[in-house]
Amino acid sequence: MKNWQRNGILVGAIFVFGGLRLPFEAGLRGELQAAHLIPQALEIGTRDKIGQTSSAVALGGLRTLVATFLNLRAFGFFEAQRWDDVADTFDTIVDLAPKTRYYWEAGTSHAAYNASSYYLNQSTLPPLRRREAWRASVLRGRAFLERGIKNNPTDWSLLRNLGFLLSDTNLFPAFRNPDETFLAAAAAYRRSAATGNALPYVRRAEFISLARVTGKEREALALGRELYASKENRAPTVLLLLLVLEAHENPALDSAARAVEFFGTAQSAYENLCRYWLRTRELFPIYGVASALESLERTLAIPQEKSIFNKPLQSRPDADEWFRN
Amino acid sequence: MTGIQLNKPQGSHFGRIWVIALHAFTQLVRMKVFYFLAVFAVIAIASNFFDLPQHEGPESVGINVLRSIKSWSLGTMTLFSVVLSIVATALLLPKDVEDRTLYTILAKPVPRLDYLAGKLLGVLLLVFVSLALMDILMTVVLHLRAGMVLDQQMAMAQARGWPAEAIAELRADTALHGPSWSLQGAVWAVFLRASIMASLALLISTFSTSTLFTTIISFLIYFIGHFQADARDAYLQAGEAGQGMLVRGAGLVMSLVLPDFQNFNVIDAVIEGQALPMVALAKLSAIGLYYAIFFTGASWFLFAKKEF
Repeated sequence: MKNWQRNGILVGAIFVFGGLRLPFEAGLRGELQAAHLIPQALEIGTRDKIGQTSSAVALGGLRTLVATFLNLRAFGFFEAQRWDDVADTFDTIVDLAPKTRYYWEAGTSHAAYNASSYYLNQSTLPPLRRREAWRASVLRGRAFLERGIKNNPTDWSLLRNLGFLLSDTNLFPAFRNPDETFLAAAAAYRRSAATGNALPYVRRAEFISLARVTGKEREALALGRELYASKENRAPTVLLLLLVLEAHENPALDSAARAVEFFGTAQSAYENLCRYWLRTRELFPIYGVASALESLERTLAIPQEKSIFNKPLQSRPDADEWFRN
Repeated sequence: MTGIQLNKPQGSHFGRIWVIALHAFTQLVRMKVFYFLAVFAVIAIASNFFDLPQHEGPESVGINVLRSIKSWSLGTMTLFSVVLSIVATALLLPKDVEDRTLYTILAKPVPRLDYLAGKLLGVLLLVFVSLALMDILMTVVLHLRAGMVLDQQMAMAQARGWPAEAIAELRADTALHGPSWSLQGAVWAVFLRASIMASLALLISTFSTSTLFTTIISFLIYFIGHFQADARDAYLQAGEAGQGMLVRGAGLVMSLVLPDFQNFNVIDAVIEGQALPMVALAKLSAIGLYYAIFFTGASWFLFAKKEF
């Protein structure tokens, strides 16, 4: 057999071999992608961002390792407070390792908490620009986390963190409408609990968020009563919100007596109600709280000068106030 | 009559292949490739210290370090196995020609297929032993660290009075990031990819003019192999995407000629804590075997009539 014939046979064999394996490999790729065992192909933008060498390595089966390197680089940017670089790096990292919860939570944390705090406290920008940069950071953190949830819809922790972010007193003024924000936070906690993997406090957090939404008091009360049925859920904030929602439903309710029922003694009920009264920063509803406090102060013979009503309240979260200077 | 009998191969194919494989293995071990294990040990231990700030809840404390250990270890294994399988295979034939060992072997009644299969098996044996040693080291480091993380988490959960079901859930979640059968499956996937590369390098070395040529072409194919699936998609979905015949034809040729390495990227999912089903691993093994057999057969087809 001549060389050209031999080579021709080999080339033909390669094509036949390729034709035989092609449908099997395509099918296996589909199965592995459906099972989230292999990711979708990298976007061209991601390939550009990670650079030629890293791209080759990432495509060469080392995506998670490249993501680890980039995470170290992002930490350097974080130390230097280069927030745009931190955000860009995390965009690339999550393209490489979209199933890793840590990267989604770290990227969110840097944008929504670290960068926003920087613009709130340290930046030398003029107030208006600081305020816009602060708000943009919070919104970027939320958008990033929501992308993470889209990629990992059954991850209870990411959903829980969205609830945290939306109900954080230092952040929610960035979303402007507190009712919508608390409602979104409650929805995030509810989805987190629905995954079946969340810790018990997530349902309590859902209740605490929902109770703050104007117009959702009845729904919140139903949830509160359901939680109250289980002893482990009877945390002070849950009991107090339950009391307030009952007072909203029935304005004639003797809130002081109900508080004593919840907390065992008048003294304990008074102390818990005082703490709740002072938490104005968290925008908790206060139906029946003032009357309960007045009644308990009379019962406990609290002198006028020591009355809770003489203590200064926390300022309500107000972005206008934060960026005045 | 006697002369004809003398020229007939003696013993079984497997016996001959095994002898040649052991010789190739010894030859490669003498090149001190196992020194790399010291580097791997340093990497496996150093990966314990990449403990960046915690952004997750307290229930995830330490998980990032476990992921870091797996990521660094499997990444290093991938690099090492691919480099070793390509370079070692590329070296084997030229070295045997240079040492004139090849002439001695081929002068004996050893079928050329046995010679090639033996050489390939020697390289695969070396890659397998190296990966097994690295796997043991990774598993020990991971086991120790996972134990520490689990103790830390259990203490935290008990201090916070978590219910028993939540503690059991936490334990199961953390176990996903510790040593597991899926992790062993990922190491097997690393080996399969290296095996394909070794058999491909063997095919190239049968017509290549130098070790350097074999090495460069093999690495190029390795990297292009990670785009093969894109080319196949371009061919299969060309109608939907409205692409022309040229793109479709180029996609078809690429997907028929080049191996698809993207399917072996299941390693990344395992590092992220996902389970690797046995079915998927069996299918990957079947593909790996299919490539290895075809490339070895093709190598023999070219090597059988080659004159030295």
